Amino acid sequence: MTDLLAKSPCDGLLPLTIGSVTVTEIAFDAITSLAPFKGQESAVSDALKVQMGAAFPKPNRTTGKAHARAVWSGVGQALVLGPPLAPIPGAAMTDQTDAWTCVALEGDGARDVLARLTPLDLRPSVFKQGHAARTEIAHMGGVLMRTGENRYGLMVFRSMAATLVHDLEIAMQSVAARGRL
Amino acid sequence: MRFSALKIIREGLTGNKGWTPHWRDPEPKSEYDAIVIGGGGHGLSTAYYLAKNHGMTNIAVLEKGYLGGGNVGRNTTIVRANYFLPGNSEFYSHSLKLWEGLEEDLNYNVMHSQRGIINLFHSDGQRDAAARRGNAMINQGDDAILLDREGVRKMLPYLDFDNARFPIYGGLYHPRGGTARHDAVAWGYARGADQRGVDLIQNCEVTGIDIENGKVTGVQTTRGAIRAKKVGMVVAGRSGQVAAMAGMRLPIESHVLQAFVTEGLKPVIDHVVTFGMGHFYISQSDKGGLVFGGDIDFYASYAQRGNLPTAEHVIEAGMTLMPMIGKAKMLRSWGGIMDMSPDGSPIIDRTHIEGLYLNTGWCYGGFKAVPASGWCMAHLMATDTPHEVAARYRLDRFETGRGLLDEEGTGSQHNLH
Amino acid sequence: MRINCPHCGPRDRREFTYQGDALALDRPDPEAGPDVWNDYIHNRDNPAGPTRELWYHETGCAAWLVVTRDTVTHDIHAVELASAVKGAGK
Repeated sequence: MTDLLAKSPCDGLLPLTIGSVTVTEIAFDAITSLAPFKGQESAVSDALKVQMGAAFPKPNRTTGKAHARAVWSGVGQALVLGPPLAPIPGAAMTDQTDAWTCVALEGDGARDVLARLTPLDLRPSVFKQGHAARTEIAHMGGVLMRTGENRYGLMVFRSMAATLVHDLEIAMQSVAARGRL
Repeated sequence: MRFSALKIIREGLTGNKGWTPHWRDPEPKSEYDAIVIGGGGHGLSTAYYLAKNHGMTNIAVLEKGYLGGGNVGRNTTIVRANYFLPGNSEFYSHSLKLWEGLEEDLNYNVMHSQRGIINLFHSDGQRDAAARRGNAMINQGDDAILLDREGVRKMLPYLDFDNARFPIYGGLYHPRGGTARHDAVAWGYARGADQRGVDLIQNCEVTGIDIENGKVTGVQTTRGAIRAKKVGMVVAGRSGQVAAMAGMRLPIESHVLQAFVTEGLKPVIDHVVTFGMGHFYISQSDKGGLVFGGDIDFYASYAQRGNLPTAEHVIEAGMTLMPMIGKAKMLRSWGGIMDMSPDGSPIIDRTHIEGLYLNTGWCYGGFKAVPASGWCMAHLMATDTPHEVAARYRLDRFETGRGLLDEEGTGSQHNLH
Repeated sequence: MRINCPHCGPRDRREFTYQGDALALDRPDPEAGPDVWNDYIHNRDNPAGPTRELWYHETGCAAWLVVTRDTVTHDIHAVELASAVKGAGK
């Protein structure tokens, strides 16, 4: 049987540091979309807690931690980033492990870089740690999370990986250049 | 007063004291043979041709603001006859012919400039579509030349030919296409109509349409009641409100379309150029400003101003096509209210009310249609029969589904054009 | 123009896609006849002023919204979930 080479979406593109900002690729063992059926929300949330210690997230929030995180990704739906999940009764689940590009943007000025790419209100008092948003990232539909004081998680569709890195690079260069003025 | 070189020289030598107003400012009479509601490009040309072609001089144009104060006073001024569908082809072909004789006819400089339009294409499929459209244009008797990549490069060397996503494969060149001075078109028609006795009444808003036994008898206005047995509604984005006065609901949604102009630059763009992959078109005005626009904002609006995301989209498309325009500084932008029809084509037709006529649905392409729209609307109002080149612009085509004029092939439904 | 999505909070216009008049929530009966259907598909009040329309939060939470908006000022007076409006039998 042919042994295919596994490549991550940003293979050969990341990591990248410009000025004080670094972008790195994050690989998850699995990405699973989880959508509870009507009336099953709390049962599904309990089951998720048992499997990975995190509840089903409320709108625009994340639960869990770095390598076992659930992020709200739309009406009645979350993406579970981390370990592969065993089937949860009462929910529609889809394996999306190879469907997404996930990167972390970190450092002083990370927010300035993002501000060039998304219309979201990123002020720290509004977009707090643990918050998440389905929004536009460089004209692409994506998922944005604030995972630390100056650390953000970004997800776009896998086929957009090079575009994401390109747009991040331009924005990082612009922010760094402005900082030198 | 006739304009001539001699007149200009004489006035220049005598302190320019002999110029007179271009038109009168009459009080409305109590009755006219016909009334045109709307003093924009289409309304003024309707009045002009009613007088010139049909000898109807006891007529009035009622304008709630000032003449030419709407879309004809603010647009990207493109004049072309490059339509594909029967129904549109002959109409715009007729319009372009009228444009070509307009300055002599009106004795007015409308600065009609046949600098040529190049519609770029960026894939084999688009090339096929361009060839097909070009053949339709030639069949109609208009001109079209299919340019390959090198042909385009010779004319437009400043384009980004090797853009990875949108490489330029060639262009459809329409040499007789071009631009005209938007205000001057309205002023020329206004002056021509006035000289033939038409009353152009400004600051006169129509507030009601009088109908008795299914026949129109006149209108109510902010300057009093005016009787007329024929009334034409030529009010573009305001069609919905005016038609509602006659109890009609129209297949029209009003949307905002933005346009932009940069500060004046040396001559750099000699033609009208359109992008085939994003919605972007550009030309350079005689004053030097780059005049460009894109798609509508895509929501119902009467605000005469747009939103920034659309501006961003248009400018990104422009930068993709011709990166040099990044150096230009934008001077201003504005928004016009477009009368969008479900299939993207206009309506020039009678209504179910006798003597009440409708001219609407020009979407974002009304400027080039000004001469033929007025010509055909005047024919309809004077003779009660549609002009042959506008016979397919029927109001009932949506109801019956017959004769839809869906130039873009996207379907006959609001929000698709 | 910002729309206050019931799920996501105030979001930029570019995240949303416009559908048109909210009359689409009142779809006629399939057998209602051609006049009713023509009116439903093509004819519009097209008001200059407040109107109810359908917007889709495309790059956001993917909810359909009923937005009450003034077409003259672009002011947004109310935003409701279309599912809630429809569910309430309106």
